[in-house]
Amino acid sequence: MTGSSSGQSAMGRPSEGRCPDGRSALARFGENLRRAPRELRDSMLRSGSPATDRSRSAFVFSSLFLHVHSVRVHRWSLRWSTTMGLGIAAAAAFLVTLITGVLLMFYYKPYPDVAYLSMKDIHFVVPTGRFIRNIHRWAGNVMVVLVLLHMARVFYTAAYRRPREFNWVIGMLLLVVTLGLSFTGYLLPWDQLAYWAITIGANIAQSPRELTDALGITHLFDLGGIQKLLLLGSDQVGEESLIRFYLLHVMILPLALVVLLSVHMWRVRKDGGLTRPADADLRLPPITPATYPVFTEAPQRTYHLAAVVKGRTPAVGNGPENCVPAMPHLFYAEAAVFMMTVLACLALALLRDAPLKELANPAVPENPAKAPWYFLGLQELVSYSAFMGGMGIPLVVILGLLLIPYLDREIAGTGEWFGGPGGRRVVARSAFFGLGSVILLEAFAIRFGWIRQWWPESPQLLITLINPGTVLTLLYAIFSLWAIRRFDSVRAGAMALFTCFLAGFVVLTVIGVHFRGPNWDFFWSPSDWPGH
Amino acid sequence: MHSRANKILLLVSSLAALALLGSAAVRENWLQEWKRIQRSYAKALPPESRRDFRVQLRQIVVPRLRVSDRCVSCHVGMAPGEQGISGDRVLSKHPNVHHDPADIGCTVCHGGQGRATESAAAHGDVSFWPEPMIPAGQAYAGCGTCHTHLAVPSMARLEQGRALFERSDCLSCHRLDGRGGTMRTGAAGGMEGPDLSRAGAVGFDEKWYGKHVSRSGEPAAAVWRGAVRSLSQDDQQALDIFLSSRVGAPGLIEAKALFHSLGCRCCHKVGGIGGDDGPDLTRVGQLDPGRLVFDHVPGERTVQNYLAEHFRAPGKVVPGSLMPSMGLSETQIEALNLYMFSLRRSELPEAFWPKDRIRAERFGAREFASDGATLYGAFCAACHGADGRGMRYAGMPPFPAIGGRDFLSIASDSFLAVTIRSGRPGRRMPAWGSPGGPFSESEIDGIVRHIRGLGEGTPFAGDSGPRRWIVADAIRGESLYKANCSLCHGPGGEGGEGPALNNQVFLSSASDLYLLETIRGGRGGTSMTGFASGTNVSSALAPSEIEQLVAFIRTWEVKQ
Amino acid sequence: MTTRPLAGGNGRSRLDPEPIPRRDFLGRLAVFSSFASLAFALAGIMRLPKAAVLPSPSKKFSVKLPEAMQPGVPFVPPGRSVAIFRDEGGVYAVSTVCTHLGCIVKADAGGFKCPCHGSEFRRDGTVVRGPAPKPLPWLALAVSAGSVCTIDEGSVVESGRRARG
Repeated sequence: MTGSSSGQSAMGRPSEGRCPDGRSALARFGENLRRAPRELRDSMLRSGSPATDRSRSAFVFSSLFLHVHSVRVHRWSLRWSTTMGLGIAAAAAFLVTLITGVLLMFYYKPYPDVAYLSMKDIHFVVPTGRFIRNIHRWAGNVMVVLVLLHMARVFYTAAYRRPREFNWVIGMLLLVVTLGLSFTGYLLPWDQLAYWAITIGANIAQSPRELTDALGITHLFDLGGIQKLLLLGSDQVGEESLIRFYLLHVMILPLALVVLLSVHMWRVRKDGGLTRPADADLRLPPITPATYPVFTEAPQRTYHLAAVVKGRTPAVGNGPENCVPAMPHLFYAEAAVFMMTVLACLALALLRDAPLKELANPAVPENPAKAPWYFLGLQELVSYSAFMGGMGIPLVVILGLLLIPYLDREIAGTGEWFGGPGGRRVVARSAFFGLGSVILLEAFAIRFGWIRQWWPESPQLLITLINPGTVLTLLYAIFSLWAIRRFDSVRAGAMALFTCFLAGFVVLTVIGVHFRGPNWDFFWSPSDWPGH
Repeated sequence: MHSRANKILLLVSSLAALALLGSAAVRENWLQEWKRIQRSYAKALPPESRRDFRVQLRQIVVPRLRVSDRCVSCHVGMAPGEQGISGDRVLSKHPNVHHDPADIGCTVCHGGQGRATESAAAHGDVSFWPEPMIPAGQAYAGCGTCHTHLAVPSMARLEQGRALFERSDCLSCHRLDGRGGTMRTGAAGGMEGPDLSRAGAVGFDEKWYGKHVSRSGEPAAAVWRGAVRSLSQDDQQALDIFLSSRVGAPGLIEAKALFHSLGCRCCHKVGGIGGDDGPDLTRVGQLDPGRLVFDHVPGERTVQNYLAEHFRAPGKVVPGSLMPSMGLSETQIEALNLYMFSLRRSELPEAFWPKDRIRAERFGAREFASDGATLYGAFCAACHGADGRGMRYAGMPPFPAIGGRDFLSIASDSFLAVTIRSGRPGRRMPAWGSPGGPFSESEIDGIVRHIRGLGEGTPFAGDSGPRRWIVADAIRGESLYKANCSLCHGPGGEGGEGPALNNQVFLSSASDLYLLETIRGGRGGTSMTGFASGTNVSSALAPSEIEQLVAFIRTWEVKQ
Repeated sequence: MTTRPLAGGNGRSRLDPEPIPRRDFLGRLAVFSSFASLAFALAGIMRLPKAAVLPSPSKKFSVKLPEAMQPGVPFVPPGRSVAIFRDEGGVYAVSTVCTHLGCIVKADAGGFKCPCHGSEFRRDGTVVRGPAPKPLPWLALAVSAGSVCTIDEGSVVESGRRARG
């Protein structure tokens, strides 16, 4: 800095290459005003335009929104067959649901009867209202499906193994929150479909009474009653329930989901990225010249944040070869998945209107009154035993799913589809066994009834303990124990059990959706239903 | 590496998404039905109004009724302040009715889904809308949403009044329902009379006849002279009844009067009064077509079609229905349909209740006229016949004839009154008087008088003796009963082809003379022969035998 | 910082900016079209909050005038903020929404007075006093048969325009 005769040098720094050489402050002011737009852009892109390796890395690393991604991504993680993009797709569906949901909040009124009228207004009068509402309904359903598929993918690629057990647990929590979001949203239109579906759901929540009544302890510990009261805010679905469900649906559960999702994605980072087989590097084809950009040299560690780096987090000791820059390769993949999910939601919204039946009428029950589709498998089991179908078996299933990473401590096959001892064979056999047993059991119960049809005086406790749900669970458990022994592997047993569970879930849901009609009787087709 | 594949996927899905968004935008902005209709309305307007007309959603909002009716987005001519395009079915002005749509909206009278902006949805012809619009030709049924016209007489009485109105040349000065009358404005004199279309609603001077007569007698009144005929007291009453029925809803009161002449209330309740054998009809006009079973109803799945088919053949439409085929003509069915649609009492804020509804629901005023003829027609005719000769319906025990002379000569007024008041418990005849029934004593007396009239006024022949005086061998009576009576009246007197003889109300009100005379002389026109004279298949019963029969019948009577 | 080239790389230093190759046209096009569709979606979304129809009674309405209307005494239809006058020149309607901050003015002997900040107006809407900046507007009014007049609260006409009848 050359000497300056003006006394203003004590104020502020000189700009790069320019000295306070006597130009007046006004001139400087004008100059800064002229350059302000470019300076604004440059201040937003602090690392400059992402045209070099370094700036690309810095772009990802220093952005609040993008730095959940690692700067480098292993090529194995980018393969479609590794993840099928299901996790990103589920997050994309959530984002679509979130945005359309906020828009609907401009017009929806959470009070009985008025809620229904506001839904009619949204459909007929609000600009783009019909389209937005349809998108919201479909995106919600798409999200549930994608979350379930994502869970299946993670399981079958054994991506839950150490050190990722806790992320699996968080994923299970995310599943519960997703189902909760869908369920709480189901009531909001306040039509016959909504009202009676939630009445069913609340009565399923009350199902522990079946057990406490049979044991005679309801007056001491009325778990079912407490659960229903907490859910509904009253003894039946009404204005208290609606406001409660609205609060859960627009504030509590979305916040929980966002927090859990952030932890979930952060853990992916800290657990060293997506799972891949130990020999992934060997199995990857060489980089083709068409791939661009790639790292031109072995990148150094470009961040210095790692505190005490020990053990497996962050990815200490893993080579940087076979990594490509997250920007743009990972981002293209994510953008493609996001856009395809959005496209699917838009297409569904244009093709089919979201349902809206008559105004909710507590005096006229829907027959059949069906819970939302993802609970219909449960409702089928509830038709045999309220407690087992409503609480017992779901708890067993969730507990079983949660325990999987802690029981399967093997390492063979991590990151491979159907990896582990037994592989495709055990999955195929379990599918066969799972489908066969659930179909046969259901066919038997539909044709011949169950216990009470044969011995009308049977005690409820007997039916609670012995019903198609418990029998099926027992069969699946026995089969998976057999698989453990047969293949000498806990993983094989886990695959057997999970596959059976999937088969059972799918078949029971299909039965609940399509084959059950008024009074929960069996019909081959909805056109056979009596009455209307 | 899949980057290229991802780029292609991204490109294709983005373009597809753009295309879908574009088509959604087109659908939203250009393909909406109401916009198209409003644009055609604007084209049909005169140029100076066209400038001020904006294509936008229009609605009639009545917060107290929770109504936001967007019918006027397509039916622009009916929106407040807009002019109609005459001759156009959709865009014309609303027909001149007493209630301004701007005050009460559209759906209150017409039904349908007011919040919708597409025609099928707005007319309620979609699934999951339980209250479709009232059919076009029967719009006046919508009056029933709020109104309950009171004291509607039987068809015969109403028609009598109408015939008198037409024959007395009233239409030369008075308009009625769009016909007749001349009216010079500005008191120019000459022929003038008010429009009587709503005379029943606004009220009229009860001394109108006297005033007409005195005007007619004034020497100076040129046109008046001779204009008014002389009418008897009964004729004047008939005209009064007719005028009271004019409420600006042509056809509706006639339909109600028809309903009151066919005896429907024998079996059906309306507004809490009627029989229990059939469903309550108080809100039949609000039937949800989605919940009706159309398996046996040909044609469209509309409520109108269902009701019409039901009137033609109830047993076909509702398997197992007790309702007999009434043999109605198509015009009668259409009129009854109009009345059925008007039975649609809605929940209204009390500020909106019209006077007639307040009187009906708060003060118990009758919807039907309380004279014997109307009461009989409304409540008795379906079972006992309009002429009192009884009715036979397939699959049901026959209903007794009560208008025959031989019955009336032995049935006292009090016997008839007790029967009407207390009914026949356990049998089809309900109790119509207090306690539990709707009729007052004076109404019952009116019915009794009407029944006497059916038998050409046959009086009760009188019975000077005590109610029970017969002393005879009931055991012999039992064997006689088994031989002669049990086939029709049942082995235990419980009835069958013939009425129940063991009914307590019957036994406690019938006298021995009544029983004696019935057995002796029979009932003309029914299966009950007179046993005092023999028939081809049985010999005559001696008077002592008849007394033994009566004594046996009396053994069923339980002492109070 | 080493400059050891990576196998498969093209030997440049990491610090050099790379030229944009033509083959990335696909990528740029893909990104551009995804932004375009999202922008289109955003534009559509922005239309939602602006209500297409207001849940209040229509601005155009009809009312039957009472037979005896003295000149200078306004008729205010219930629930509406207009005042209808009839004088020798005809019938006209003045809006009773104060032009200052929107309170409803009350009719008095000489015209109108606003209870909020004391603005005063004459019967024809001109301002006598007060913080009101503009006179009360006259509203479009048409008279049809049977002294039924149709007023459009959303349409202002020039002061002085009266309707026959």
